[in-house]
Amino acid sequence: MAHGFKRTRKGIVGRFEAPEVRLLQKLFSDVGETLAPEPREEQDPLEALVGWDEDVPEPTDPALRRMLPPASSDPEQAAEFRRLTDRSLRERKIAALRASSLALESEPVVLTTEQAQDFARSLNDVRLVLASRLRIDSPEDAERVAELTDFGKAESVEQYMGVVYNFVSWLQETLMNALLKTLPAR
Amino acid sequence: MGTMSTTALTAHAPACTVLVSAAPAESPALTTEEEAVTAVDVPWNVVVWDDPVNLMSYVVYVFRAHFGYPDAKARALMLEVHHRGRSIVFTGTLEEAETHVSALHGYGLWATYEKAGEN
Repeated sequence: MAHGFKRTRKGIVGRFEAPEVRLLQKLFSDVGETLAPEPREEQDPLEALVGWDEDVPEPTDPALRRMLPPASSDPEQAAEFRRLTDRSLRERKIAALRASSLALESEPVVLTTEQAQDFARSLNDVRLVLASRLRIDSPEDAERVAELTDFGKAESVEQYMGVVYNFVSWLQETLMNALLKTLPAR
Repeated sequence: MGTMSTTALTAHAPACTVLVSAAPAESPALTTEEEAVTAVDVPWNVVVWDDPVNLMSYVVYVFRAHFGYPDAKARALMLEVHHRGRSIVFTGTLEEAETHVSALHGYGLWATYEKAGEN
């Protein structure tokens, strides 16, 4: 049974059971794979090296579209922003997911503030993907899924995914409470 | 698995439009005087949109840690996002707005930038 994250003098500490570590690492790795830029057959190697992209289409996968949203309601501006930032945004997210996965190798998990921020981003991206798969588009949808809290009672893949979503949400909440305590009180 | 506390923001995301390619930001040499004045003078807003997934605690943390806002301001902005569907969280130059939007996307928040006074 996970205990969530707590702020201690050593840093932000979390204790996990082995199956929880495996679950989180699998989620981080799956989201990282979802974020990997699609290979482009015709791309110039030099352009790839310097991170130059011609037009970058908006992702068709709703989960990816949520992690890489349009930056403007002006389509031209949004497309230009995407062209300039898509690759680095994906890379930043993948780096945070990998770092978070690695941090889970320690028992207990001890995070610096910076590592905890990466962990929070990673948990959030996992939640965005799960929410998209669970079609959480409204507060009512969120309430429907919030009822699923028992792994033992999950009777379908969707229900199981809902329990996972709630577990990750709860874990992120404990992490945010710990992180908020690192900020100056004012 | 402990107490669940997953108060999330509710949904009013901006409509996704079909994207087309755009010209890059004009180089200074090609920018006319009028455009240069506009680019410098007109402030840009960074808008954060509501969604049913991001935790309130997470949004408050991002506003505090990224912008350095005091707790009360961060909470007020978060609640505005939650209740009104969107909130202007920063106003400044185009370059600053773009940088903040990119950072907020890194945090998984749904942020856009727009010319001040457009909405």
